[in-house]
Amino acid sequence: STAMNFGSKSFQPRPPDKGSFPLDHFGECKSFKEKFMKCLRDNNFENALCRNESKEYLECRMERQLMAQEPLEKLGFGDLIDGKSDKN
Amino acid sequence: STNPYTRSQEEDWRRRNKTVLTYMAAAAVGMLGASYAAVPLYRLYCQTTGLGGSAVAGHASDQIENMVPVKDRIIKITFNADVHASLQWNFRPQQTEIYVVPGETALAFYKAKNPTDKPVIGISTYNVVPFEAGQYFNKIQCFCFEEQRLNPQEEVDMPVFFYIDPEFAEDPRMVNVDLITLSYTFFEAKEGHTLPVPGYNSNQQLSPASNL
Repeated sequence: STAMNFGSKSFQPRPPDKGSFPLDHFGECKSFKEKFMKCLRDNNFENALCRNESKEYLECRMERQLMAQEPLEKLGFGDLIDGKSDKN
Repeated sequence: STNPYTRSQEEDWRRRNKTVLTYMAAAAVGMLGASYAAVPLYRLYCQTTGLGGSAVAGHASDQIENMVPVKDRIIKITFNADVHASLQWNFRPQQTEIYVVPGETALAFYKAKNPTDKPVIGISTYNVVPFEAGQYFNKIQCFCFEEQRLNPQEEVDMPVFFYIDPEFAEDPRMVNVDLITLSYTFFEAKEGHTLPVPGYNSNQQLSPASNL
């Protein structure tokens, strides 16, 4: 790395905890994305009101092997789990 | 100065001068060396403290399970997308902003399109502004740091899943921070030319980012 570039600010971004999402080449979860985006637009882009939609999107990815299987609690959706959806 | 006493004293002075000169030279060389070490040292310092926008390494993912959202601390997150001149992709965020609270996981989307007629591999890195907020911006999963191959004319959604650390609400330095900008930059990754991409938990720097 260029350690001598005193003038420019050096920033070291950290890779995410769970790595990188594989690309959804076939648009398998596109409909869930659309639903989420619509929810955001309808709710003035307040994330708190669209967590159900983001949960569904990530579930779609997990079902189609586009994301590592992860319990929903570990994705911050612990409060959105109703008894039946405990697949693991 | 034929006096043997003076002569020996003169010799003594000369020897002392030489010693002082040697020390001074050593000090000068040492300072020069320290100035070269300053950048890596500063980087090390920033990585452990999270200052200067570097994210602190080693946040346990168990934290997500137990964190409590700070409902009354609403932060606006804006999204920015850049593409390096060498990469012919259309890359943009799908929402310009979202509102989140610390301790709540959030999803956002970018979109990338390869408008050319040949497959192109890109690789991205990100930055967070203000830099001090970087340590609270936790990515769970995104599309960064790994090579992404887009086929001719292909368009894909690129999700980012993240949360703001609940401790954000307790940091006095963050009291006036109501807006955080997440900025992604895509670079071209040449085929057959392996980039020194950082492995997870590695401290190596992504090479295209070094000249940002």
